Amino acid sequence: MLIVGEMKLSDIIHHDYTLVPVINRFNIQLGFGDATIEEVCKTKNINLGFFLTILNTFHDSQYFPKDYLKSFPATVLIKYLRKAHKSYVEEKIPEIKEMIQRLSELSSGNKKTLDLISNFFNGYSNEFGAHIEREEKVVYPYVLKLESSIDESGNDKSMLEEMDLYSISNYEQDHEDIEEKLFDLKNLLIKYLHAETDEPRLFEETSYLLLRELFVLEKELREHSRIEDLILVPKVEEMEKLIRIRN
Amino acid sequence: MAGVTNIVLIEHSFLLRSGVESLVQEIPGMLIMEVFDGSEKSLFEKIKSKKPDLVIINPDSLGESFIGVISKLQVEPEIEVVGLLKKDCLENISSRFKHKLITSENKHVLLDSLRKICGTDGPCEKNNQGPISKREIIILKEVVKGLTNQEIADKLFISIHTVMTHRKNITKKLGIKTVSGLMVYSLMNNIIDINEMG
Repeated sequence: MLIVGEMKLSDIIHHDYTLVPVINRFNIQLGFGDATIEEVCKTKNINLGFFLTILNTFHDSQYFPKDYLKSFPATVLIKYLRKAHKSYVEEKIPEIKEMIQRLSELSSGNKKTLDLISNFFNGYSNEFGAHIEREEKVVYPYVLKLESSIDESGNDKSMLEEMDLYSISNYEQDHEDIEEKLFDLKNLLIKYLHAETDEPRLFEETSYLLLRELFVLEKELREHSRIEDLILVPKVEEMEKLIRIRN
Repeated sequence: MAGVTNIVLIEHSFLLRSGVESLVQEIPGMLIMEVFDGSEKSLFEKIKSKKPDLVIINPDSLGESFIGVISKLQVEPEIEVVGLLKKDCLENISSRFKHKLITSENKHVLLDSLRKICGTDGPCEKNNQGPISKREIIILKEVVKGLTNQEIADKLFISIHTVMTHRKNITKKLGIKTVSGLMVYSLMNNIIDINEMG
């Protein structure tokens, strides 16, 4: 389904409730009545083209966001990506850590298995944190500078120099190892989790919650990197081209 | 049939095409490599150049060229031909096919027929099952100690190519891709002791 501005936001959520965290990132909370997407964007002062691009990219893995690309500034996109990062680092990851901790508390006797899983996930979260930090400290500032130097249309000399040092084409594609670790963690739980426990019911329930969180996080991250690859990178390439052409 | 079963589908209806595609997707090791709508010129040559293992044909999509195409396909020893047929398909057409998929059947009957035609219950799934071998355990131990492929090859007097093959098989069987994941697996299953770690 292609999501367009005239549709009711409530219908969209009925159709795909996994979009709730996505709209939350735009500061939209549940209880929006019968408002259409257009109307919600107007009240909340959200760029409609950008909102639709993000919704469609999350909703349909085949969607290719070509049409809307030019309709919003990079600032808006980066604000969104930062907010998403924040929710991973401050909410998702700590929640998962807590669930692993709870499993460890529920297991009796030798806690070796859960200590190992906990260490593995800590390793993952450090790597993930470092990846995010690199994006926020190197990539995003570069993109913002690019956009402001286009808007100012003044002297591009320093921008050109910076483009020679760093260009979005060297944008690191190091999502892969991080994705693989998450995949491994799921299999370690699904195929190899053996632990003794005095509270099997609670243990099972918590394992299920943990696994579900991992699947959700995996999907979120997959869409997140699709947004980076399909929206951020082409957008920046366009800006780089613009600067080169006028010089 | 070993490995991947490559399929060419000849179907002009979008809905039926999508249906066959979604069926094939459910069977590991089967792949639709090309779809024709039946109106193409010199269709037989086009099919043959793809070197498929299986050709699924809806006779309705071919119209008058059906007899010509099917007669040529039937004498190709490497290609199995499957008819995608309506339940009330005429005998003189349905008898042309050794294998049949009846469009009104339910999903599981269709999946079963497809698997039988392929001569297997999903080749890829079965091959990767089973615990890892003793030899693979020896390799695994070295991997989690942090040795590179070259170092393992030198230490065990085998080629680097052999090391890589073993590693691929270990990953396939265990479902674990990263070295740190393999380390957790090995420690969990007492394949390696924490003191052995480099």
